[in-house]
Amino acid sequence: MKQTRTRIAAALLTLGVLSGAQADELAVGVQIPMTGALARVGQGTEEGIRVAAEVFNKTNGKHTIKLITVDDESSPAKAVAAVEKLASQDVVALTGGYGSNNIGPAADAASKLGLVYVSSGGVDDGLVNSGRTNFFRINNTAGYQKALVGLVTDLNAKSVSVIYSTKEATTGLAKGIEATMKAKGIKVTTHAFDPAITDFKPIINKVKLQDRSEIIAMVGYENDYVGILRAARVLKPGVKAMVGVWSLATPKMASDFPDLMPKVYGTAVLPFPVAFTTADGKAFADGYRKLYNKEPDYLGQFGYVQSMLLFEAIARAADKGTLKKNGVAEEMRKTDRDTLIGRVQFDAKGDNKNFTQRMGQHQGKQVVLVWPKEAATGKPIYPGVPW
Amino acid sequence: MTELILQAVYSGLLQGGSYALIALGLALVFGAMKVINLAHGELVLLSAYIAYTVESKLGWNPMAAIPISVVIVCIASSAVYFVVGRIKTNREINSLTLTYGIGVILTNVILMTWKADVRTTNSTWMQEAIVVGPFYSMRSEVLFFGVSVALIVGLWWWLSRSWYGRAVRAVSSNRDAAKLMGINPGRTELVSFIVAGILAAFAGVALFSYGVITPAYGGVLTVKAFIITVLAGMGSIPGVLIGAILLGVAESLTVTLASSALQELAGMGLFLLVLFVMPNGLFGASRRRG
Repeated sequence: MKQTRTRIAAALLTLGVLSGAQADELAVGVQIPMTGALARVGQGTEEGIRVAAEVFNKTNGKHTIKLITVDDESSPAKAVAAVEKLASQDVVALTGGYGSNNIGPAADAASKLGLVYVSSGGVDDGLVNSGRTNFFRINNTAGYQKALVGLVTDLNAKSVSVIYSTKEATTGLAKGIEATMKAKGIKVTTHAFDPAITDFKPIINKVKLQDRSEIIAMVGYENDYVGILRAARVLKPGVKAMVGVWSLATPKMASDFPDLMPKVYGTAVLPFPVAFTTADGKAFADGYRKLYNKEPDYLGQFGYVQSMLLFEAIARAADKGTLKKNGVAEEMRKTDRDTLIGRVQFDAKGDNKNFTQRMGQHQGKQVVLVWPKEAATGKPIYPGVPW
Repeated sequence: MTELILQAVYSGLLQGGSYALIALGLALVFGAMKVINLAHGELVLLSAYIAYTVESKLGWNPMAAIPISVVIVCIASSAVYFVVGRIKTNREINSLTLTYGIGVILTNVILMTWKADVRTTNSTWMQEAIVVGPFYSMRSEVLFFGVSVALIVGLWWWLSRSWYGRAVRAVSSNRDAAKLMGINPGRTELVSFIVAGILAAFAGVALFSYGVITPAYGGVLTVKAFIITVLAGMGSIPGVLIGAILLGVAESLTVTLASSALQELAGMGLFLLVLFVMPNGLFGASRRRG
């Protein structure tokens, strides 16, 4: 009897050890620009990734995620080196990346090493059209394009001047916007600008004196928006609206540049102030506020969603014992769930086929969703410009 | 079309003034010590972030940051000198690597201190438009164009009329001969770094007042300053203003008459053309001697 009890105890102990082994910490690599030209967006995304790990580790009783972060310094060559370094530290997958020109080579390196790579920082379509089998992204050009063109169409504008940065992602998006709007019969004039430009007055003057468009569409980044809006404020072209894409309709822009933002439109996932209603949303917002002592922004939301989907796929693959057999990629392809940015499902190329953005407008100190109608939290102020 | 071209030339002129202000400090050190201070852009940026702190934390006008910036940037510039001054051999080449490294350190110090966010002034006064006939500009652009011209005149006067200015030129021409004349080369070079720091402090406050700053912007400023310094001809202070205005106007006209995507290309094209035709720059040594 005593021997039997000892055997049972030994068996239980073995089971315990085994189950403990299964709940081992799983390392996930974060390759992200923490310094260099993309430091601002990289750090914002990384905040969301950290919140995802925190929330996952609290809610998933079986597995825990350990993040290993390597700064790619906003450089493609260092992004590849970061991926290789992370692979040598036995990470099971990678999350992060910002800028299509950094993500491309980094995703190639991850693919060669057999690692899944998930991102929200690159919208260039070349990322999903180059035959990479382990690459996934939760946002794309089509979603931003649809939102901006949808708003312009609903505002019944007849002519638009598109001012865009010559960077890869912005050029792709601007070309898409131009083609779609032309197909709808809208007169489009484009002005490409070098990312090093700081004085936008000559461009705005061309819009004012030559284009005479109803709307200026800005496809660039935060510093470009500030330069364009400031030049427009000086020259006061006779446009009815200033519309942009990412990083514009955010509470941060409203607080940092209060004179430049009133009535400006930009893509937005959520209005501001935001009330998260879902359990996932509340977990994210609480975790974010606790870790960073500030209100969550869109970069954090994207970082959170991409990473949470990855952690869940890793957990499922670990449960099935397929972690080392490309199981993470298989589980990512099976993803189908509602998230903070809407329903996410990946197509065969790894692109989120449901991604759609919304359009927000700075009204007072708030960001009001004005497009599409079914998601709107207010009406657009049109015509309306900051000056 | 005339209205467009006039505005382009005016914008280019103001832009040139801001380029000149950024390039002055680099040109001075380059002329005095044959040292290309690749951390110069970061010194300008440091001053810009001090102006941001003064405006955002104290609610003061960015101009009020100038005295604080001058002190801090001069200390930083002197620190750069003390490191560069320790180089005993191949100073021209070794200082490149050293100052590049200092620039990287400064960029990261700025990043850690002020974070990666995009910053610019929120002073309504600075951003208000000044309209004179067909010419549009911000108040800050006109103000700092004037400051830039005044500093260039002041620097030119200092170099040609003051004892220390003449000492800087003497050390620049022949360090050993200057020593025999009782000039302390080390102290003179330190003075040139301090004056470069003062110029960088003004340039930084100006940059914050009409432009947009991020921690990674220092490298861009250094490259622009270097192009203007070489374009002007080594050691030529009035040449800096003329070279900078030429560059600003060429860039602005390219945007108006061709494409804004070609702006940087036009600047580099002008730079290469001038070097091809006049290898010493617009006002380089051989021309001045002639």
